Amino acid sequence: MKKGITMLLTAALFVVLAGCGNGNNGGNAGNNQASTAGNTETNAGQTNAEKPEEPKKENVTIKVFQFKVEIADALQKLAEAYEQETGVKVEVETHGGGEDYSALLKAELAAGEEPEIFNSAGWAGFDPYVDRASDLSGEAWAKDLVEASKAQISRDGKLLGMPMNLEAYGFTYNKDLFAQAGITALPQTLDELEAAAKKLQDKGITPFALTSEWWSMGIHTLNIALANHEDPATFIEDVKAGKATFKDEPVMKDWLRLVDIMFANGQKNALTTDYNTQVAEFAAGKYAIIQHGNWIQGMVDEVNPELNLGMMPVPLGAKPYTFTGVPNNWIVNNKSAHAEEAKAFLNWMVSSETGKKYIATDFKFIPAVSTIAPDTAAIGKIGGDFATFSQEHADQVKGWNWDRFPDGITQQWGSAMQEYLGKQISGDELLGKLDKAVADIVKR
Amino acid sequence: MVKRKQWSEWMQQTVFVGPGLLFFALIILLPFFMGFYYTFTNWDGVDKADWVGLDNLTRVFTDDERFWSSFWFTSKFTVAAVVTTNLIAFGLALLLTRNLKLKGVLRTIFFLPNVIGGLLLGYIWYFIFVRGFSSIGESTGIGFFELPWLGTPATGFWGIVIVFVWQTAGYMMLIYVAAILNVPKELMEAARIDGASGWRILLSVTMPLIMPAITICLFLTTSNAFKMFDLNLALTGGGPGNATESIALNIYKESLTNGRYGLGTAKAMIFFFAVALITLLQVWTTKKREVEA
Repeated sequence: MKKGITMLLTAALFVVLAGCGNGNNGGNAGNNQASTAGNTETNAGQTNAEKPEEPKKENVTIKVFQFKVEIADALQKLAEAYEQETGVKVEVETHGGGEDYSALLKAELAAGEEPEIFNSAGWAGFDPYVDRASDLSGEAWAKDLVEASKAQISRDGKLLGMPMNLEAYGFTYNKDLFAQAGITALPQTLDELEAAAKKLQDKGITPFALTSEWWSMGIHTLNIALANHEDPATFIEDVKAGKATFKDEPVMKDWLRLVDIMFANGQKNALTTDYNTQVAEFAAGKYAIIQHGNWIQGMVDEVNPELNLGMMPVPLGAKPYTFTGVPNNWIVNNKSAHAEEAKAFLNWMVSSETGKKYIATDFKFIPAVSTIAPDTAAIGKIGGDFATFSQEHADQVKGWNWDRFPDGITQQWGSAMQEYLGKQISGDELLGKLDKAVADIVKR
Repeated sequence: MVKRKQWSEWMQQTVFVGPGLLFFALIILLPFFMGFYYTFTNWDGVDKADWVGLDNLTRVFTDDERFWSSFWFTSKFTVAAVVTTNLIAFGLALLLTRNLKLKGVLRTIFFLPNVIGGLLLGYIWYFIFVRGFSSIGESTGIGFFELPWLGTPATGFWGIVIVFVWQTAGYMMLIYVAAILNVPKELMEAARIDGASGWRILLSVTMPLIMPAITICLFLTTSNAFKMFDLNLALTGGGPGNATESIALNIYKESLTNGRYGLGTAKAMIFFFAVALITLLQVWTTKKREVEA
């Protein structure tokens, strides 16, 4: 009898287990079917709406699949303004912030949806979309692009996207503290920088806000050296191929001196200062200079929106430089239905008064084309200062070079910089470690 | 009849062990053997995985200083952590098996850190080290607190040891408490009547009898210390430089940062055999010393 009960229970358990499994499968299958059905319906709906009367402009719809959540509302308004002016409807779909934009874009493309315009980062991040990108070299605005913004989105000499905006860094400095120390002219050479640091120290002001954050040192500080090379692209390729080394590169000697000046004039507990602390203390007016860019504006505003900041170029070689890069690009999809209309829209965006106003004021962008005047009130003091500087001294704006290296190298550079900051290794050893990091990663 | 009985045995085994075994196989065994396979490929984490034979292993053994320095760091860490954790846990257990009024509350308090997740705990302690210690140092001028905590290799090392001990000692204490309470009263009493001092009783009666607990505690702390990852990630991230990088973190970075999953799994395999060997040796030596009352 007892055995019988056990058997029964076992049997019952199996039935329940099996039942659960089936139930789940059924449910999933149902959902899948429902969602695919939904997709095809919308597909059908769209093609029906677009196909029949294509020549008439009223029925042209450009779909923009975009990433920047911050500009979503403003972009929508810009799209409406464009429709009023030209009759072309612009449909904006925003996937950014917490969403995985590139995965969603790939899914969209895989599903056969071809948005007219989408976003892509430059360099290696652009690789998956090269085949879809229309050549924009002939567009009216192409000649007005800031020089440093082009390389990241160009392939074989063709410009394949429109740089969205610029981000930039150099030495962001506290103008009031500089005035207090009696520094009237910004330092143009390493000697002048050292003298300025001395003046600040004499007034009891710590000149540099340092951090032990690997990316700040491994990416941004190293880029100062790379960008100061007369031909960064070739130099980087040579380093990767093992034909050139940091150890034998003359620029690196000057760069080491710059780093030494920074490290010698930084705060005492630099080794334990993370990014948040560094920026917060800088915003509180404890330090005169910080090596960051317009991205710290928001954090500074939380502490002291009135802080009188500016961006000064970093002295190293003959001329001091600021460094700018493009976080994102507009790509015109050549497999989409209305690629030409999309080009016209982008052109309108950077050339019409309405479009210019939106980019400068509503998007709060540092424009990547020189024909749009930056709105310094909108972008904040750091970005504003950079924008004015870059228009006056276009030759003193250099690019971002770290993305030319494969993953893993900048992290190891960051580690080496930490050791140098902690005085565990000498300058020569540091350069050796930079080379070793490249060799280690390049050898897959 | 015999057959039916056998069948029912089997049935029971399948029903009660089956589901657990299935998930164990799916979640632990399968990835383990796949990892074994990937050790011999140049897998990049996405889809490329060509057979490269022993390349990964030779590279780790002949041309990877960073891995071996993290191995050395982890070994030093394990020794320091295991010794301090067990001494403190055992001391606390001895105290809390006395007739203390607050022993229930105290046992809970000491156990509590173990309930908090490692990563979270790491970030809390990061804050304590970096902000808390430095402000105590500023106001009191005590040298200990004025050190650049987590900023140098030595402070990084001891910082992680402190947090590890703080986290695990409570758990080990509970195991020791349970073992000490199980030591037969009559043996203690007999020893005391024979005129043994408290120290003598501890060494010659209590210790040999709680040897099984010591085996377990040493095993748990050794393997946990060797596999330590989350505290490392949260507290120092392996820095400054690579001075406080544990093997687990090194493997993680090799795979996820450098994108070399093949090499990462090769290191993970070496790591697995090292942990297995060390813990087996440890269990084997302590087991030999276990006695029964």
